[in-house]
Amino acid sequence: MLNAGELKRYDRQIMIPEIGRTGQERLKEAKVFVAGAGGLGSPVAIYLAAAGLGTIRLADHDTVDVSNLNRQVLHWEEDVGIKKVDSAGEKLRRLNPHVKIEPLDETITEENAVALASGCDGIVDAMDNLATRYILNKAALDLNIPFFHGAVRGLEGRVMTLVPGKGACLRCLHRGPVPQEKFPVLGATPAVIGCIQATEVIKYIVGIGNLLINRLLIYDGLSLTFTEFKVARNPECDHCGHTITEE
Amino acid sequence: MGVKVNLHLTLRSHANGQETVEVEGRTVGECLKNIVEMFPGIGPKIFDKKGGLNNIVEIYLNHQSAYPNELVKPVKDGDEIHLTMMLAGG
Repeated sequence: MLNAGELKRYDRQIMIPEIGRTGQERLKEAKVFVAGAGGLGSPVAIYLAAAGLGTIRLADHDTVDVSNLNRQVLHWEEDVGIKKVDSAGEKLRRLNPHVKIEPLDETITEENAVALASGCDGIVDAMDNLATRYILNKAALDLNIPFFHGAVRGLEGRVMTLVPGKGACLRCLHRGPVPQEKFPVLGATPAVIGCIQATEVIKYIVGIGNLLINRLLIYDGLSLTFTEFKVARNPECDHCGHTITEE
Repeated sequence: MGVKVNLHLTLRSHANGQETVEVEGRTVGECLKNIVEMFPGIGPKIFDKKGGLNNIVEIYLNHQSAYPNELVKPVKDGDEIHLTMMLAGG
């Protein structure tokens, strides 16, 4: 149940017919795992907290560096040198004390990914490398919860929502390993992509709208275009291919 | 009328800044090879040393993923190819 303070806080959201009081209560009951407290994790966590998503479990093993500050807006000048989850947790609690923040100072690995996301209603991809994205993709499939993919580089970003059994997973498009790089990025790019990921999470939790299932949305900030591409499940996918016959 | 190829952001500097290139070809692979003939700098960005696609490259044909076996997919006049790159940052 929403208390008087929450009803006032979320008034403009409850006014949205598709959300209403019922949707707001669903958000309050939800728990989401945000994997990464950096460029994508910042806008995702900020907008989920502001929207009243009940519990945000936030994982990151890194400390704040001054070079993060052009895009990782949960971290400020005075946070340089402290753990990102501590910096992020403090800001999110100040933003919305009604939301429970579970900070995890952890490196996400094949061994711990399922345990870290266990009990959550979805996993948000806010990582900075493909290898960990695939680990999270597999964990989401194992836990039968959605995976809200987002990635950025420079002035470009992409978003896709993966719901087990309902469409392609991130691994369905995998051709082989991709070398890790120090990627360039304009701070506004993860803001655009992270806000779309947060919108997808909220829609999923409330149960409204059309999710980006089998739909890869690519944002080109240079031309300022959004282009949507259809993707399909790969029967040979080593993460989800074995489940196709079950649909 | 040929096949319209939309170049990824990172490829445009090798094509005089063009966002799109019109090429001829019966398959995706032929279209891409024709692009590389026009703009050789694009070659190493999309093909590996064996002539296969680099792992980071994604190809969409008429807004649908062409994966797998992208290079042999047939194309016809008026078709549209998007040459994109997988992203890893966050």
